[in-house]
Amino acid sequence: MTLLSVQNLTVQAGEAPLVSNISFDVQKGEWLAIIGQSGSGKSVTASAIGRLLAPNLKAQGKALYNGKDILQLGAKEMRRLRGTSISYIFQDYQGSFTPFHTIGRHFDEFLKAHFKLSKARRREMAEQALESVGLQPEMYTRYPFQLSGGQLQRSSIALALLTKPDLVIADEPTAALDSISAFKVLRLLADLQQETGCAMLFITHDLRHVRKHADQIIVIKEGAVVEKGDKQSVLDQPQHPYTRALMEASPSLSAASQLLKGDDTACLYCN
Amino acid sequence: MKSGLTINKTCATKVFLSTFLILIASIAAYTFLILKHDPSFVDLNERLLPMSWQHPFGTDHLGRDMLTRILLGFQLTVGYGFLALLLAVAIGVPMGVIAGFKGGLIDRLLMRVADAFLAFPDTVVAIVLSGLLGAGIENLLLAIILVKWVNYARLARSTVVTERQKDYITMAKINGLSEWRIMLKHLFPHLIGHILVLASLDLGKIILLISSLSYIGLGAQPPAPEWGAMLNEARPYFQTVPALMIYPGLAIVTVVLFSNLLGDYLRDKFDVKKEVAE
Repeated sequence: MTLLSVQNLTVQAGEAPLVSNISFDVQKGEWLAIIGQSGSGKSVTASAIGRLLAPNLKAQGKALYNGKDILQLGAKEMRRLRGTSISYIFQDYQGSFTPFHTIGRHFDEFLKAHFKLSKARRREMAEQALESVGLQPEMYTRYPFQLSGGQLQRSSIALALLTKPDLVIADEPTAALDSISAFKVLRLLADLQQETGCAMLFITHDLRHVRKHADQIIVIKEGAVVEKGDKQSVLDQPQHPYTRALMEASPSLSAASQLLKGDDTACLYCN
Repeated sequence: MKSGLTINKTCATKVFLSTFLILIASIAAYTFLILKHDPSFVDLNERLLPMSWQHPFGTDHLGRDMLTRILLGFQLTVGYGFLALLLAVAIGVPMGVIAGFKGGLIDRLLMRVADAFLAFPDTVVAIVLSGLLGAGIENLLLAIILVKWVNYARLARSTVVTERQKDYITMAKINGLSEWRIMLKHLFPHLIGHILVLASLDLGKIILLISSLSYIGLGAQPPAPEWGAMLNEARPYFQTVPALMIYPGLAIVTVVLFSNLLGDYLRDKFDVKKEVAE
């Protein structure tokens, strides 16, 4: 079943198009990866879907979520949709939390804005969410600066999944983490996706993240889709020269380590 | 050669500020508890008296007790200064936060209005308003508010504009928080330090403005014991009884100095040198 259908999405800054005529579908419970280099328009696409574009950028086209065009929704409906159906995870975990509020207060505010729950129940839910991403419930009373990068990114995943959204848009969630934390966060995200059955729109420039978890892949170059399809066909038989160039730029570690030693135990990203 | 007694500047400021706070507290206690004289009680037999136990600061040209008038003048001048400041902040900050957060047309509209107000020097606005509405402390306050709110609006706007681009504001929007809540709970706390600094620096300026306009007869009207008005009343006796001008003058100097030192202190404390320095 199609959850989100983006049709002919164009984003313009003045006259210059940043993204032109992008179309893709996200099925329910599917992991869709958008790959492209910096400036290719992948983050702009993600922001356009959540109506988070800067005021000087204009989006045209359609983004049908369960048949309703997100780009045409009223403010109230948009708020409800953002709160309960679509959530985001950002690259910059440092900036994802208001510096002078505790982690717990973010959870509390979020729940308070959308549900009528008692204070104790809200706290319970928040602590459960923190535990579900492998953090101690004590983090509830901590301030963002007291947590490490990996812990913060885990908290923001917990926050994003708090209201059981159908679609999670992850905009390079691991780009600012070191590779071990990134690996762990990614695996956590994949596990939680399996558990909750939400669809994932995963934006990255790193093919390693895609090899393991994605179902569908879209390759974007200079604001246009150059290739799309399911993972195996894109990875095994890339049609577009750009995709081939991307693949060559990122050799698989397992292949490399097997070449060297015939041993791949030290490899984190091998399949 | 280095002397053994080096005075730390912040330390000196702290000493001054705390002395002043104690002074204010005792003044308040004095004026509320043991006010001996009626500030507007005229006794022509006792005019222009020098210092005495009965009248520690002497009496003025109408035989009124100077100490009482100076102390009550503190309430009046500083009180009105605070009031003007509070109202200016209460108008300016919300305007600035809304303009900065909403952006677009609302931002441009509010900021052009602010620019228009900025074009008038405060003294000119005060004189025009007193001309139109009549002289009086209320109109003076109105004039001060009209001019001063702009500073706070601009300060609030510039801070909000830089903050609202950060991810946590986007995050708050995604989490479906209402715009008012974001402005109040996620943006406003950033401003408190900046506003405190600017406000404490402004307090001195406002007090000077109230006093100087009262001095030329546009603010508080006699017999109100306002320091500027007292200076004006004492003008004819400047050569015979200079004390009549010295006391209110000293009072103004002390309060303005205090306000500036407090502003400097807070600025160091909050470390907002860049934004507030003009």
